[in-house]
Amino acid sequence: MAENFEQHSDISAADLARLTQEAQAEATPSTAKIIWSEFKADKPAMAALIIIVGFILFVMIGALFINTPKMMETNIMGYFNQPFTADFWLGADSAGRSVAKQLIVGSRNSIGIAIGLTVISSTFGICWGLISGYFNGYIDWGMQRIYDFMMMLPMTMMIIVLVTIIPHYNSVTLTFIFSIFYWEGTSRLIRSRTLAESEKDYVAASKASGTSHWKIIFREIMPNISSLIIVDCTLSFAENIGVETGLSYLGFGLPSQTPSLGTMIANANDPNNITQYWWTWLPAALEIIILCLSISYVGQVLRRAADSSQRQGSVN
Amino acid sequence: MSLIEIKDLKVHYPIRSGFWNRITDSVRAVDGVSFNIEAGETYGLVGESGSGKSTTGKSVVGLEKVTSGSIMYKGLDITKAENRRKLDYNHDVQMIFQDSLSSLNPRKRIEDIIAEPLRNFEHLSKDDEKLRVLQLLNIVGLDADALYKYPHQFSGGQRQRIGVARAVATNPKLIIADEPVSALDLSVQAQVLNFMKKIQREFGISYLFISHDLGVVRHMCNNIAIMNRGRLVEIGTRDDIYNHPLHIYTKRLLAAIPETDVNSREAHRASRLAVEQVYQDQQSKYYDDNGAAYPLVQVTPTHAVALPQTIAQQLASQEGEVQA
Ligand SMILES: Nc1ncnc2c1ncn2[C@@H]1O[C@H](COP(=O)(O)OP(=O)(O)O)[C@@H](O)[C@H]1O
Ligand SMILES: [Mg+2]
Repeated sequence: MAENFEQHSDISAADLARLTQEAQAEATPSTAKIIWSEFKADKPAMAALIIIVGFILFVMIGALFINTPKMMETNIMGYFNQPFTADFWLGADSAGRSVAKQLIVGSRNSIGIAIGLTVISSTFGICWGLISGYFNGYIDWGMQRIYDFMMMLPMTMMIIVLVTIIPHYNSVTLTFIFSIFYWEGTSRLIRSRTLAESEKDYVAASKASGTSHWKIIFREIMPNISSLIIVDCTLSFAENIGVETGLSYLGFGLPSQTPSLGTMIANANDPNNITQYWWTWLPAALEIIILCLSISYVGQVLRRAADSSQRQGSVN
Repeated sequence: MSLIEIKDLKVHYPIRSGFWNRITDSVRAVDGVSFNIEAGETYGLVGESGSGKSTTGKSVVGLEKVTSGSIMYKGLDITKAENRRKLDYNHDVQMIFQDSLSSLNPRKRIEDIIAEPLRNFEHLSKDDEKLRVLQLLNIVGLDADALYKYPHQFSGGQRQRIGVARAVATNPKLIIADEPVSALDLSVQAQVLNFMKKIQREFGISYLFISHDLGVVRHMCNNIAIMNRGRLVEIGTRDDIYNHPLHIYTKRLLAAIPETDVNSREAHRASRLAVEQVYQDQQSKYYDDNGAAYPLVQVTPTHAVALPQTIAQQLASQEGEVQA
């Protein structure tokens, strides 16, 4: 059979290297390259990316050098110490604990939970949506009923109940508890796009080429909804920072001896703190705002790169 | 023995409605279709849009869940998935799609697109595979530059060539070509049809050529089946269909072929209107009480039409007189 092709085409093994090289010269740049040039063309996006990556690295590494139990010990001498002093860069709270150190460890905890939650719930939601949309039949029907049931549960209340009845929990357990309730939105979104995508002829062509269902779902369809996935993941990440923060603020997040952005913002519950001791809560609030804005800005750029038609930067 | 034998093929899509979402009715997209495709020939399947041609084509490739009937290949019924697996069926039967853009994955490079059936069926070494892809590009008249590009970087005609290259990659016995040129410019249509014919000669491929246009099919097909509302209304050789059409639906399709000769345009228009008039007036003669086509009856060894026996004979003899 190979002879058949040899016979009717004037290309033979001898030409392989030369032609490959020619084709490589004409090759379209890879997605990673397109994304990178997109960032280079958009300075604010680059700044946002540097802020996010730099900050996350800083708190992750910085937290390693801080002895948390010691840091959380009450220190009468530091009672509401003013900020910008040698011992307390950002001042101290009512127990005399350093705000700067709490901010670093707290950010590490909050961001860690947000990353974990985003990875787990998005991965699960994406798989659920892809499988449900692609197989569209009994499988889809069953999966959608489970989805409906999960949607019926009052999420915040369930989390509060679970957190109350589980005796010992830490940030890892908390991440898993949150994950149970945060995959649904993603899965619905992905399912509806998958339904539309599965109807397209390239899926039929792949089936006719003997490609297995799993390969079609994850290698053919998933890349085609990558821009949706990227946008959804970045938005979820920004949102998920808020999830932990919100619950900790209410007192149902991490245990009180574990600092987080939420527990720090909870300092603002005290009217005195709002006006007089602003340094106890303002840094954490500013941090959340800057992080969320940067993340959504970066998300936009990623989406633009994924929709190569909307390309802004020139690729060379 | 024929390459493929399709027998009483039916594909019905359920319509669900009501509170319990129960099946209340069905769309009879294909409703009892039988025909055979011989090795090396091009078989034409023609009908207006919505008549069930694509559904028939997809059933033959194994992409459609068939309601009833059989499609025999090498003695096995390939409407069953396990038989398709056993035969490596899609190694031998491939498809070219109407919409070249949506049939090529926009996120994949041309190399990966064309190599997809090879990777699943032939397991070549990396170099052999690349060589085969380059040869295929060469055969369909594209440069090696195309290898690492994406589908949107090509024109419609070039994309359809890529689609053909993918279909030919495993050197199949049969290719279902579902309106392969309908979306292309007239000038490009001829090019694509010509190299499809060239490939057929060189590789000994059979085509099931689907089209809504009898004008395009004339240059491609030896045998033609006319499809209307999920059923075949006329089967015959090219000569039977173009020179001795019996069913009013066939005549109507023939009248719809655009006339390029400016001088006879007026006459063409008149005959088209006359056919349309007959079609409107004689519905009851050509279709049964439910508006469905009759079963096929044989009028000559090669020619069959979906009419009651008596009317078929009568029309055939009239046609014969005109010819005589
Ligand atoms: N997946 C489907 N579900 C329901 N109806 C369908 C589906 N696919 C096709 N049909 C219907 O079947 C009929 C035949 O469609 P098709 O085979 O695409 O016709 P053609 O290719 O001749 O234009 C049409 O009426 C169409 O609406
Ligand atoms: Mg069609």
